[in-house]
Amino acid sequence: MSGHGGWWGRRRNRQLALIVCFLLPSLIVFFLYRLLPLGWNVILSFQAWSPLKPAVWIGLEHYAEMWTYDDTFWIALKNTLIFIAASPLAIAAALGVALLVNSDLKGATVYRTIVFLSYPLMAVAVGIIWRWMYDERGGIINFALRSSGLIAKPIGFLQDFSWALPSVIVAEVWQMIGFYMIILLTGLQSIPQNLYEAARIDGAPAVARFFRITLPMLRPSLFLCVVVGILNSFSSFDLVYIMTNGGPGHATELLITHIYKSAFEQTKFDYAAALTVVQFALLLLLTVAANKGAGGNAGAVERD
Amino acid sequence: MSRQSPLALSLRHLTLVVISFAMLVPFYWVIKTAITNENIYAYPPGILPRDPHLFNFVDVWYLIPFPRYLLNSIIVSAIAVIGNVVFNAMAGYALTRQFTGRRAVLALFLSCMLIPFQATIIPAYLITAKMGLLNTYFGLAFPMLSTIVCIFVFKAAFEAVPKSLIDAARIDGLTEWRIIVRVLLPLSKPAIATNVILTFIWSWNNFLWPLLITRDPNMQTLPLGLARFLSYMEDTTGALYAFAVMVLAPSILVFLMAQKEFIRGLTSGATKG
Repeated sequence: MSGHGGWWGRRRNRQLALIVCFLLPSLIVFFLYRLLPLGWNVILSFQAWSPLKPAVWIGLEHYAEMWTYDDTFWIALKNTLIFIAASPLAIAAALGVALLVNSDLKGATVYRTIVFLSYPLMAVAVGIIWRWMYDERGGIINFALRSSGLIAKPIGFLQDFSWALPSVIVAEVWQMIGFYMIILLTGLQSIPQNLYEAARIDGAPAVARFFRITLPMLRPSLFLCVVVGILNSFSSFDLVYIMTNGGPGHATELLITHIYKSAFEQTKFDYAAALTVVQFALLLLLTVAANKGAGGNAGAVERD
Repeated sequence: MSRQSPLALSLRHLTLVVISFAMLVPFYWVIKTAITNENIYAYPPGILPRDPHLFNFVDVWYLIPFPRYLLNSIIVSAIAVIGNVVFNAMAGYALTRQFTGRRAVLALFLSCMLIPFQATIIPAYLITAKMGLLNTYFGLAFPMLSTIVCIFVFKAAFEAVPKSLIDAARIDGLTEWRIIVRVLLPLSKPAIATNVILTFIWSWNNFLWPLLITRDPNMQTLPLGLARFLSYMEDTTGALYAFAVMVLAPSILVFLMAQKEFIRGLTSGATKG
């Protein structure tokens, strides 16, 4: 290896070897826990397989079963879509907060920290806190509503078929709003101030400045928030599992809880794999749509 | 921006105070319950804690294998943090160099970012079982050993180091390893901090993965302990809430101490995504 010739002797090759070694650990992690599972998952969804039986190709049978017989799938799909549809509201609220704490407001850092404080918390603990807030007897929400005379009888928010899903979504928004705010704040701070100055000289009112400058310039940040909102329908598993575990009945069942139950409670790994493919496809579809939508909307604003 | 009238300014503060209040109520309510020992289901519930005390925290420590859960959580988080700092720094450095296939690796990383971990749980579980890593610390930490966002944090930090400094080190005859350890890493302390904090919080809070791969109670981490406690201690005292407070405290502390690094990590992931 000390010779002038030879593969190792060449500096370029030695460096390439070094780079490969440096990338290898990360690549192994991503291969084993991202790419390989994704591929295997798709294959598994076309097979009949359980841990003790050899795999048999059955084509689209799982998907057909899902489509025709699995009522829970349809409920979970609807709930997942409602869950995703709620995130724009949270993002709009976060944008409001971000606009309020932006600029040189005194104490802005304190407000920002408070709003952001719930984001890094363990979802299991957040679920337990909110269960307790919603509690029929000792919960503060029922207490507040009752003592202000808004309701006469306590509401079992998480036990009620129509209240359960909105209640879980509120807890989810409480945890996520700080994240959206931070992303939007970063976006706001990257807007060049001279755009606003020019607009002010032109006499553009605040509303016009918001719709013509702020919103279009925030497009990348808003898009990111929407994508995170879409992904949250996956990552909210912890919260839903703790707060309701999909109940009452299937009122708060999401696709991810349905996937978990099918795979790890009923050991139907193959069927759960098909469910996962559907949810993943849904996410990709919505992300692409959001991308298109972001472009289209912003374009319309500019044309106005 | 422009100067605001005092009225507008105070309206702004008022709105923010109300929002902050709403965001803080859950914290207050759980702490209040954790330090109360009266019947927590009494109506009307007291707004202020009566005879506050810390017995619930002691109860949690002794009633359930809390020290064991804590130990497991610390070990898994430590493995994940070390893995992330080392592997991400290596990968981040590799990406600052020019080599054939660099674009392919970058594209691969970016597309991996779009695959949520939850979408891979079934094969991930089967793969881990095949490797014989169920119920092990390493199995718990494995999927979290490297994080794409954090690789980009390192890459950006290394790229910010002046090229002349690296060239000078190279002329002095330092090897690549030495350049990384002696020149690049000392100048990238914020990136290291971001890696440590993000990984710690992700690993500490992680619930789904330990739920899938640990059946042995001796290997379970705090979130699992908390969920288990919930399922069999539902109607008792404030102990459950004391447990929740104890589990939340470390991540809140870490976050408050290093908010800047935490936010930097999130937003740099944002601009890359």
